[in-house]
Amino acid sequence: MNFALSEDHEFLRDVARTFVKKEIDLAPLLIPGATVANANYDANWKKIADVGWPGLIVPEQYDGSEMSCIDLAMVIGEMGRGLSPSPFFGTLAATWALLRAATGEQKSRLLPGIAAGKTSMALAIADANGSVDGPSSDTHAVAADDTHAVASRDAHVLNGTKSFVVDAASASTLVVAAHDGTSLRFFVVDARQAGVRIEVLPWRDITRQVCNVTFENVRGERLPVDVATAWPWIRDRLLLVLSLESAAGIEHVLETTLAYAKERVAFGRPIGSYQSIKHDLADTFGASECANVLALYAAWALSNDAADASNAAAMAQSYTSEAYVAATERSVQIFGAIGFSWEMENHLYFKRARANATLFGSPSVHRARLMDSLERSIREGSAA
Amino acid sequence: MDFNVPDDDDPRRLEVRDWLARNPKPAGRRVAEAGYAVPHWPQPWGLAADPELQLVIAEELDRANVPAAYHVNPVAVNNCAQSLLTHGTDELRSRYLLPALAGEEIWCMLFSEPSAGSDLAALKTTARREGDHYVIKGHKIWTSLAESAKVGVLVARTDPAAPKHRGLSQFLVDMDSPGITVTPIVDMSGAQEYNEVFLDDVRVPVNQRLGEEGDGWYLATTQLQTERVALSKPGAVWGKGPSARELVRGLIETGAIAESLVRDEAAKLYVEGEALRLLALRAFSDGQNAKPAGPEGAARKMLAAPHGQRVLELAKRVQGARGLIAGAQPFGASRPGAHTVFDDWDYAFWFSPGITLGVGTQEVLKNIVAERVLGLPREFDPTAKQPFSQTIEPETAASKTAGRETAGVR
Repeated sequence: MNFALSEDHEFLRDVARTFVKKEIDLAPLLIPGATVANANYDANWKKIADVGWPGLIVPEQYDGSEMSCIDLAMVIGEMGRGLSPSPFFGTLAATWALLRAATGEQKSRLLPGIAAGKTSMALAIADANGSVDGPSSDTHAVAADDTHAVASRDAHVLNGTKSFVVDAASASTLVVAAHDGTSLRFFVVDARQAGVRIEVLPWRDITRQVCNVTFENVRGERLPVDVATAWPWIRDRLLLVLSLESAAGIEHVLETTLAYAKERVAFGRPIGSYQSIKHDLADTFGASECANVLALYAAWALSNDAADASNAAAMAQSYTSEAYVAATERSVQIFGAIGFSWEMENHLYFKRARANATLFGSPSVHRARLMDSLERSIREGSAA
Repeated sequence: MDFNVPDDDDPRRLEVRDWLARNPKPAGRRVAEAGYAVPHWPQPWGLAADPELQLVIAEELDRANVPAAYHVNPVAVNNCAQSLLTHGTDELRSRYLLPALAGEEIWCMLFSEPSAGSDLAALKTTARREGDHYVIKGHKIWTSLAESAKVGVLVARTDPAAPKHRGLSQFLVDMDSPGITVTPIVDMSGAQEYNEVFLDDVRVPVNQRLGEEGDGWYLATTQLQTERVALSKPGAVWGKGPSARELVRGLIETGAIAESLVRDEAAKLYVEGEALRLLALRAFSDGQNAKPAGPEGAARKMLAAPHGQRVLELAKRVQGARGLIAGAQPFGASRPGAHTVFDDWDYAFWFSPGITLGVGTQEVLKNIVAERVLGLPREFDPTAKQPFSQTIEPETAASKTAGRETAGVR
C-alpha cells in the first residue's frame, strides 16, 4: 500500500502542468460572443501532437508510449485543470474503441497514424439524449437505432445520424456505432468523405467541440468485436477521463477562488475572513480531497484490472462531476458579480462542470449501475 | 502508487493470527504486553510498527473479536497516553502506562467547562501551588467515562496573569481523590454518556504534572489532534459503529433498496464512504512514508461527521413509524462483532446529533480547515493576548446560566 505518486508520475505531471500553463490560452474565449470556433482547437492539437501525447495510450508495437491509466491520469488531470480545448478526448475515446474492438491488422494500419499525431479521432456512440447506457444500468449499450450499416462489396455503407459526438469536427477519422442488421458494431469512417455532414452544436461549454454527425451513403470499415461486448471497458475509461478532468478542475477553481477571497476586501477586511465564505471553501476543499482520491483510485483500479474497476469508475465519475458542479457554482458566488461576467474564466469552468456531469450519462445513471453491481455481489454472497 | 492493502496471506498477518491461536480471548494486559495495544509505539510498549503493520494488527484483532485498546480506553490510547510517553517522568510512565494500555485503568479527559468548549483556552479551573501539591478548584463538563475512570487528564490554569493559552498546565489526577464529585448528564438519546466533574480543592502532588507549567495548551492541542479511526471500518460515529457499506448491505437484505430515491441516496453515501475509507488509508500511507500528520485530520473529521449522520439517518428513515419505537433496529438484531455502544444502529442514530458537536464542532473544524489548510485569515479573538485574569467578566446572569445549572431539565 502506497498512495504516493512515484517520482516518474510527479515528473510527468509537472511536465504536463508546465505545458498546459505555457501553451493553452483561454483568453480568446473570454471575449463576449466567443464560441468554440475561437478556442484554438486545432492549433492546440498541433502543440499536443508535437509533444507526443496523441500516442500516450497506443501500444509500443504501434509506435505509442503504451501508458497505463494511472500514467495517463497525470496528463489528463493537467489538461482538465487548464480546460485545454483540443480533440484529445475524442482521439482517446476512438483509440480505446480500436484497442478493444479492432483486429491486429486494423490496429497496425490505424494506430501508428494516431501515435504520430497525424490522425485525430472521434467516437460516435451516444444517442439523441447524449447518453449511451440509458437510464437502466443493466444495458451495456443501448441498441441506438439511429445509424445503420449495410454490407457492400468491400466495405459497409452507413446511413443515419449520431448525436453529441465529442470532437467530430476536428477529426479526420470517426469510429461510429451502427447496426449491421445483427448487432451494434463499430465502423471506422473517413470523416472527410462526401456524405459525412458534421454540425458543431451551440454547446454551452465552449472549451469542447460537440457535434451532430449525419451519414449519407458513407463507406465504413467494420470492427469485429460488437459494441455491447467492448463498451463497458471503453466506457469505464471515458468516465475516468471525465473524472480526472473534474477532480483537477475543482482544484483549480478552489485555488483561484481562494486567491480572490484573500485579496478582495469588503467592510474593511478580506472576504475570506468571513466564516460563511471560509466554510464554503472548506467544503470545497473536502470535496476536492474526495474527488482526487476517488479519481486516482479508479485510475489505479483500471490500470490493474482490479475486480472493482468498473465500480471505481462509476464512483469516481458520479462523485467528481457533482462536486465539480458544486465547486464552480460556489466559485461564481464567492467572486460575486464579476464572476458572473463573460470576461472572467469562472463561467468556462462552470459550463465544463455541467457538461462533464452530462456526457455519457448523469451521475445517477452511474450510481444506478454501481448499485446493481453491489446488489448482485451481495446477493451472490461475496463481500460488498 | 499502489492501493493494495496487505494480502490475506501476508506473513505479518499470519504472525498475528498465530499469536491469537496461542492466546485465545486474550486479556487486555496480554494484548498490551504483546505490543498490540499501541503497535506504533516504541518498545517495550509497542512494536515500533509501521502503518501497514498497524493496519494488519488492527484488522486481525478485530477479526478475532478482541476488543481494541482504542475502544476500551480511548482517552488514554487515542489522545493522552502519548503525552505521558513523551513528556512524563520515568516514575509516571512506569506507574500509569501499562494499566492504561491494558484497559485496567480507564482514563478520562477533564478539558471542557461550562463556558469553555470550542474556546477551550478560556477555561477557568485553577491549579494553585501549595508546597509540593497543587490545589485544584473548578468545574468540568461533557466528560466521557468519568464515572468509571481511575485517571483524569486535567487542564487547569496555573498562571492567571498570562494570556489565555499560556497559563495552562496538565495533571494526571486520581479520580478517587477527595474533593472530586462526578454527576451524570443524560443526553438527548436518553443515555448517560457524559458527566460533570466538580473539583473542590483537590490536592494533586506536584510530580503528577505532565510536562512543565505552561505546557498545558501545547499538550492539549496535540492530544486533540491525535486521531485514531478504526481503519477497516470507517464507522458513522467518529469512526465507530456502522458504515455506509453496512447500510447498503442492510438495505439490500431488507429489500428497502428497491425504492428508487432510497437507492440513489444509499449509492451516494456508499461513494462518500469509499472516499473516506481511501482518505483514511492515504493518511496511513502518508505515515508509512514518514510524511508528518497535518491538519488534514480535521478535514477528514469535517467530512466524516455529517456523512455518518446521513448514514444513520437513512437507516432510521427506511424504518418508517416503526423506527420511532425505542430500541427498534433497522436491520435485525445487533451486529456480530459489536465492540462499542455505537454498533447499535438505533442508539447510534439517536446519538447522531452529537457527532458534529463532540471532538470539535463542525463549525470549528471548518474554521481549522479554512485557516490552517487553506490559509484564510484567522478569526479574531480579542482576549487572545491579554492577561487571562483581565478577560474574565464578573459573574453575569449569562455566565451563571451557561452550563447545565440552568436547564430546568433536572
